[in-house]
Amino acid sequence: MDKKVKLNSNNSVGIVKTKFFNFAEKPDELILSNGIKLGPITIAYETYGELNSKKSNAILVFHALSGDSHAAGYNSPDDTKPGWWDIMIGPGKPFDTKKFFVICANVIGGCKGSTGPASINPETGKPFGLAFPVVSIKDMLIPQKKLLEHLGIKKLFCIGGGSMGGMQALQWLVTYPGTTQGAMLIATSPTHTAQAIAFNSVGRFAIISDPNWNNGNYYGMEIPKIGLSIARMIGHITYLSEESMHKKFGRESIKVANSPLANFIREFEVESYLQHQGESFIKRFDANSYLYISKAIDDFDITDGYNNLSEAFQNIKAKCLVISFTSDWLYPKEQSMQIVKALKINGIETTYTNFEAEYGHDSFLIEDERLKKLFAGFLSSLGTASGE
Amino acid sequence: MKKLGIIKDWVKEESKILVLGSGEGEILKILGGEKKTHGFGIDIDEEKVFQAISQGLSVIQGDINKDLSDYPKKSFDYVIAHDIIQIMNNPDKTLKKCLEIGNKVIVSFPNFAYIKIRLYIMLSGRMPKTKLLPYEWYNTPNIHLFTIKDFKELCAKEKIKIISERFSGFGKKEIPGFLIPNIFAEFAYFLIE
Repeated sequence: MDKKVKLNSNNSVGIVKTKFFNFAEKPDELILSNGIKLGPITIAYETYGELNSKKSNAILVFHALSGDSHAAGYNSPDDTKPGWWDIMIGPGKPFDTKKFFVICANVIGGCKGSTGPASINPETGKPFGLAFPVVSIKDMLIPQKKLLEHLGIKKLFCIGGGSMGGMQALQWLVTYPGTTQGAMLIATSPTHTAQAIAFNSVGRFAIISDPNWNNGNYYGMEIPKIGLSIARMIGHITYLSEESMHKKFGRESIKVANSPLANFIREFEVESYLQHQGESFIKRFDANSYLYISKAIDDFDITDGYNNLSEAFQNIKAKCLVISFTSDWLYPKEQSMQIVKALKINGIETTYTNFEAEYGHDSFLIEDERLKKLFAGFLSSLGTASGE
Repeated sequence: MKKLGIIKDWVKEESKILVLGSGEGEILKILGGEKKTHGFGIDIDEEKVFQAISQGLSVIQGDINKDLSDYPKKSFDYVIAHDIIQIMNNPDKTLKKCLEIGNKVIVSFPNFAYIKIRLYIMLSGRMPKTKLLPYEWYNTPNIHLFTIKDFKELCAKEKIKIISERFSGFGKKEIPGFLIPNIFAEFAYFLIE
């Protein structure tokens, strides 16, 4: 897209700057679920729109496995792509930045500015690597809660996210009841299924089998490119649907131009697409972060510490929107329906639809006018974020 | 004809209601607007649920045949089953579930003993088609058609208390109770508990 066109477009938040929040300095380190101390911690975050005087119009969105704090707009005029939820965040969009103050933070364990395995370990002066403590979805929320306190926000207007973002939203409802009016739980699950764990574990095997991985000590050296790109390729397959892949690629193939056997060797378009996905991923993501975050997803179980799902939800106060996608086979509708059932049992105001979408698990990231209307309708039902 | 006015008369201001087969949210919107109800809906159709949620209504896409038992007991002031009980797999079970989760239940249905229907069967010898029942026998969603007399018998058998009953027929007119509703009412409304 033309630079000027994209930046002047009236429904983009335009150029945004990633901000950083530091906390958990010694001796006030963060104590993780497993008892290990971590600190100091840096959290990368972005905000869009203006916080009103009563601080009642804040929406916290959570990113998924490969996401980051850059949810909307562009960090520089040279960026080719906007933030990961730019379709939803901006003036006139469902998370309307003329009305709401939208916040997105990179999770700990990540690699986009928040403290993670690639950060410098203060004990050694070298990158953590595998010395970085294992973090859970619940642990990822603590820095985000601290960030809200830092911004002076006591109660959120809404929280929301898809996939791992939905897990964070669900965990937020359970861990911090009464701190948000609404919650959007999209393409998510109360716990990871064996099938979903299996796919993640193949991705992790690919990374740790790459000789360059070197037990996680590859910083400043050759990175485990092949392992990480295979992990991304497997992940990407699980995020799409059979139907969308068929429509996009079918059985089309292209000649492999650089080969002397060009007339014989053809590559399916879906193959080169996946290779491209893998290759672009290794430029922006850290292999160790992939291990830590995918493990946190696999370990997630919202019923931890409770006897069952409805007991876990007993203190939830927020109005909830639950969405599954018809073509999502990684997080099928039955998992969303378990959430809905437990919310209903607790008498929590709940809205649910198994949304018609053809793009599989990733459907929440794809431009869709109906989905936008659904988001906007739900947000309107939470009332107005009054208090200018 | 189907009259929402009767339902409006029965529902008290600011009550908590559950509408079965809420569709695009017509009843929820009317009662929310005029009676300030706190409304919830359930419907199986994705497009209709989408329309309802897009208007800010609290609707769950689900199957009334299966999903009613998830609601806590007596969690609604009124459960409204408007023109839907005859399409359920087991209308008696659905009714009982409604009475469990609601303090009061409003049931409305087309009366299959309506005079026009009686005459239609008698004279043509075929399954009746009317404005309210426009389907062919092979594609009708109304798999459990019944009459006012049938309904009252079921209520007696299940010890369901009928608080109020009202009827309509011959266009949009309300039919007074003394006019033998089981013959002259096209559509019946019951408030039960």
